Amino acid sequence: MRAFNAELSKLFSLPSIWLAFLIGAFAPAVVAALDSIAQKEEIIAGISTRLSEVGYIGLGFGVQGVIILGVLAVSSEYLTESSESGGGQQITTSLTVVSSRLHFLLAKACAVTLISILLCIVAMMTIVPTTHFILGEYAPAFEWSRLIGAVCYWTFTALLAFGITLLTKNGIIPLAVLIINSSVVSFSVLLSKISRLAFYLPDRAGLEMFMFTSDTFHTPSTGSFFDRFHTPFTGGLVMFAWVAVFFIIAAIVFHRRDVAA
Amino acid sequence: MSVSSGRKITQILGAELDKLVTLPWIWLTLIGTFILNLVLAAAFTAVGLQGAVGTQSMLNIGLASMRYLQAGFIILGILATCSEYTGGQIRTTLITIPWRGFQLSTKHLALALITIPAAVIIAASGVLYTFIRMRDTAVGFEIDKMIEALLGATGYLILTTLLSAAIGAILRRTTPALVVLLGYYFVVSPLSRDFLSRFKKYFPDTAGYYMYIPPSPDEINVLTPMEGTGILMLWTLIFITVAIVFYRKRDA
Repeated sequence: MRAFNAELSKLFSLPSIWLAFLIGAFAPAVVAALDSIAQKEEIIAGISTRLSEVGYIGLGFGVQGVIILGVLAVSSEYLTESSESGGGQQITTSLTVVSSRLHFLLAKACAVTLISILLCIVAMMTIVPTTHFILGEYAPAFEWSRLIGAVCYWTFTALLAFGITLLTKNGIIPLAVLIINSSVVSFSVLLSKISRLAFYLPDRAGLEMFMFTSDTFHTPSTGSFFDRFHTPFTGGLVMFAWVAVFFIIAAIVFHRRDVAA
Repeated sequence: MSVSSGRKITQILGAELDKLVTLPWIWLTLIGTFILNLVLAAAFTAVGLQGAVGTQSMLNIGLASMRYLQAGFIILGILATCSEYTGGQIRTTLITIPWRGFQLSTKHLALALITIPAAVIIAASGVLYTFIRMRDTAVGFEIDKMIEALLGATGYLILTTLLSAAIGAILRRTTPALVVLLGYYFVVSPLSRDFLSRFKKYFPDTAGYYMYIPPSPDEINVLTPMEGTGILMLWTLIFITVAIVFYRKRDA
């Protein structure tokens, strides 16, 4: 518990973490507002095909906040300080204080999970009023299942970023790959046009937990951004499997590796 | 010690080049970008082969990976300027080269010198791959159009790298610079296309887009490659100037 508190306090004292909070909490609402404005005319004309998911696309982009969070949680430990202040790394201190590596890792992962859940709830609370304000009676109804799906998606993404950064020890690669992949021009969407296997990639499967809830399973070409492939539950399972695999590999590598090398 | 200014420039340029070449991350980024580009070109070609194609669309497919490719060059630019600030290298740099504006401009020049061959090789490899795979399906292929597009693509990549380097010099930290630039290029810009369609073409990435994509007849008011180059160059110069002004005023 003390290790957990320490991890939380370390995370909150990072200067860049405020960037993560800002993006995670407000970007979804901005995207939702823009999406709602763009869709409003179509909805009133009755030709919109993605009525039930308008605005929620914001959650798909706001996830970048927790990507930054997951990456920073690890990469800040490995940041080498300037040679004028000894050229040390925080990880050495952290592991001296919490000598069990698994314990340290779990405390950090729990801290990241907690913040991601809170951030996602905040994002959801900014999206719902935004869509209601712009769309009025046409706004999609708030559903608890969708909130749970979005929370799972955000948490899993944060942990995925956490696991990958633990392997690379540097934030640049995971940050670049994950940010691009959660954008409009995602690799997974491109790959899913070539092979059906791409539907099992973590972000593609995870999105199904809260998007595409309109039952478009039988109509192959919908107006939705992507076509549906999994049910929300299997989508979640697929993503969870990815997170678990990455986390176990990262934990084993971290356990066997020299502290800062 | 008094050194003639011509000699000074060569020495500073040599030092900056040396610093960039010895950064392991620069090579990792370039190699990674090269491999990624080939994989993406293969993916886009596979998608393209499913439909019928002509010359125009073949070039488009070969250059379609540019959208992702620019990420590597953005990272390159950020690394070049932000690496000075990790570990306090900046203070050593400024002790040896106390002319700040001069030093930062030379750094951009050195970065451009490294980026030119890399951009040519990486952009050409993608187009070449597509060309080899789709040779049989595409008819009436024009080589001069391809060279034009490749030149545009190289210019775009170089200017984007310099722009990222300038932003890196303003923000001075790798992670925020990376988030801001990648966020802009990959999330904000594609999303805002529908809402700001009138001004959108004057933004750095969209203006640059017209440098390498041949103008299509169904889009009105698009820029010619020359206009695109001019606008992107203007953006880059503005950001470099801002970076130099800040650099001269700020504490190291």
